[in-house]
Amino acid sequence: MIEGIIINGAILGGIYALLAVGFTLIYGVSGVVNLAHGAFFMLGAFMFSAFGPLGVIPALILAPIFVGAIGSIVYRLTIHPILGDDVAIMVVTVSLALIFQQLILLRFGFSAHVAPLVEGWTIIGGVRVSYMKLLACALSLGLFFSLWIFITKSKIGKAMRAVSQDREAAMLMGVNTERLYMLTMAASAAFATLAGVFIASSLLAGQASAYMWLQPLFTSFAIVVLGGLGSIKGTLIGAFIIAYAEHLVANLAPQGGQIVAAVPIVIMVLIILIRPKGLFGKRIEME
Amino acid sequence: MVATYVKRAYSSFAAHVFDVPPRLLALLLFILLLFCPLVKPGQSIQLILRDTFFFAMLAVSWDLLVGRTGQISLGHALFFGIGAYGTALLYQYLALPPWITIPIAILIGISVAPLIGLPCLRVKGPYLALVTMALPLILSAVIKYGPITHITGGEMGIGPLPPLIPTELFQRIGFSYRESLPLVELANYYLALVLLFVFSVVLYKIANSKTGMIFVSILDDELASKACGINVTRYKLMAFTISGLFATMTGAFYAHLVTIVNPWFLSLMHISFPTIIRTFLGGIGTIYGPLVGTHIYFILDRYVLEKMVQLPFLTYTQWTYTRLLIFAAIVIVLIIKWPRGIARFVTDKLQDLEEARDLDERGKWIWKTYKKKKME
Repeated sequence: MIEGIIINGAILGGIYALLAVGFTLIYGVSGVVNLAHGAFFMLGAFMFSAFGPLGVIPALILAPIFVGAIGSIVYRLTIHPILGDDVAIMVVTVSLALIFQQLILLRFGFSAHVAPLVEGWTIIGGVRVSYMKLLACALSLGLFFSLWIFITKSKIGKAMRAVSQDREAAMLMGVNTERLYMLTMAASAAFATLAGVFIASSLLAGQASAYMWLQPLFTSFAIVVLGGLGSIKGTLIGAFIIAYAEHLVANLAPQGGQIVAAVPIVIMVLIILIRPKGLFGKRIEME
Repeated sequence: MVATYVKRAYSSFAAHVFDVPPRLLALLLFILLLFCPLVKPGQSIQLILRDTFFFAMLAVSWDLLVGRTGQISLGHALFFGIGAYGTALLYQYLALPPWITIPIAILIGISVAPLIGLPCLRVKGPYLALVTMALPLILSAVIKYGPITHITGGEMGIGPLPPLIPTELFQRIGFSYRESLPLVELANYYLALVLLFVFSVVLYKIANSKTGMIFVSILDDELASKACGINVTRYKLMAFTISGLFATMTGAFYAHLVTIVNPWFLSLMHISFPTIIRTFLGGIGTIYGPLVGTHIYFILDRYVLEKMVQLPFLTYTQWTYTRLLIFAAIVIVLIIKWPRGIARFVTDKLQDLEEARDLDERGKWIWKTYKKKKME
């Protein structure tokens, strides 16, 4: 059982890091708490299933591009005009999530099948692990670290960090914030899409449900709050902490499978109430 | 003696209601709701309106907290659920009648609201929204948790609860069982209407009292309010408690109306989010906005769109999905283009009319004096 917790927790942690990094990115750069992040996760799994007939690799490339484009357009049309008004942004993003959910229900129905990218399984340390899980974890961590390098090294990444530190100063230096925000949103939605595909195909027995946006939303909140809002290193560590906490509760608590969903929510509430700046947050805006 | 008092009361009422166009409109709408079931008794509109009244109370209590104080709570279902589960569990284990369990549930609400508010109000903005959104989810996860479902009822819920107005009440005064069923529905309707009226008037009075002004000052500028010597935490907690208290009451009454309590009472998707949509539809921060918004939402959604519109290319379930989609889209457009909401738009127009009338009268008066002077 211990081996199972260690290995499965590590795999889940890798995918969670991919899920949460998009959320922390858009919050860090534009200050938008995007409650529709979980909706992009759900939309991604469905889009992957819709692009499925084209083949696995084209679907894996087309789905993030498609959802990223939707995220970017939706950001420009609905969130950008009300930037700075927290209540309005939350209500608008919740409404967006509801709209996506209802659209999916209309078009695809309650659930869709997400085929695994690869078949087969192997045994690591006495635990049966499917190749799909290993691939998902490896791809997630690969994408996560390439994003990290992108943000620290590239010119756009530097612009993102500049905007997150001081928006007006960055604008004076010639950064087009509107385009940068749209790009960040697209990247955030694309990462959520891939996380949705990986989780639906490797952990949820290939079933994507139209209602599965609230749970990943809270998972990413919990991770981001735990690691400190806007901190990428914190996101990685937070993802593994949440993943291990879920697996510990699922395996050790009586009928733990039923309360796994509440674990990230409880952790999030405790962190917000006890240490709102998280583990690695440097500053916290209390205003 | 009595006649003078009546006269004075009437003139004061007339000055406060008849001469203020928005209030006159509100009075007319209230009278319309009062006579609605008598014109067409036993219609589905009566049941829809009864639900509307309860969700309007919930929306008004949300508006006092979020629209007036600016404390974003996305989990108002928590208090709704606490009220419902409080009264249901008291009935289940102590077999008390509703008129005892509901006050006790309200007391539970009063005592729980500050306990939740005190830690929550240390954080602001998005953090507060997330914590409040998480709490009903945690509570519903606890209720559904396997080992204790025999206490909490789990997914199936607790029920049947005793109704607020039992059929025996009418049977005792000589009606048969079949005759008393529509009478019970009618009594429930008026009970809900009276509750709504009392709730709205009380919350409107609170929102426009000195305390209400302090709430708005916290929304506008917390630091400035602090500098003026206002104990900000105390007033925030007060707003949280008042709002929670009214939401708890609504939940407790509604539980006895539908006579079953299940995790639906705590769901974000069915309670919290629609309440927010309805409030924004009417206009946030106005107290009368959510009332209007809820009525528009329910009548459009449950009566006009559900019963009257049928699209050939959509099945009934698909049409149900589309209706929520339409309202979510309307709210996004409203927030971006027209953030003041529908109700405030109407009252603004009415006030413009009033000002125009005043100007008109003043103009006539000036014209008269001018003519008089000319004659002289």
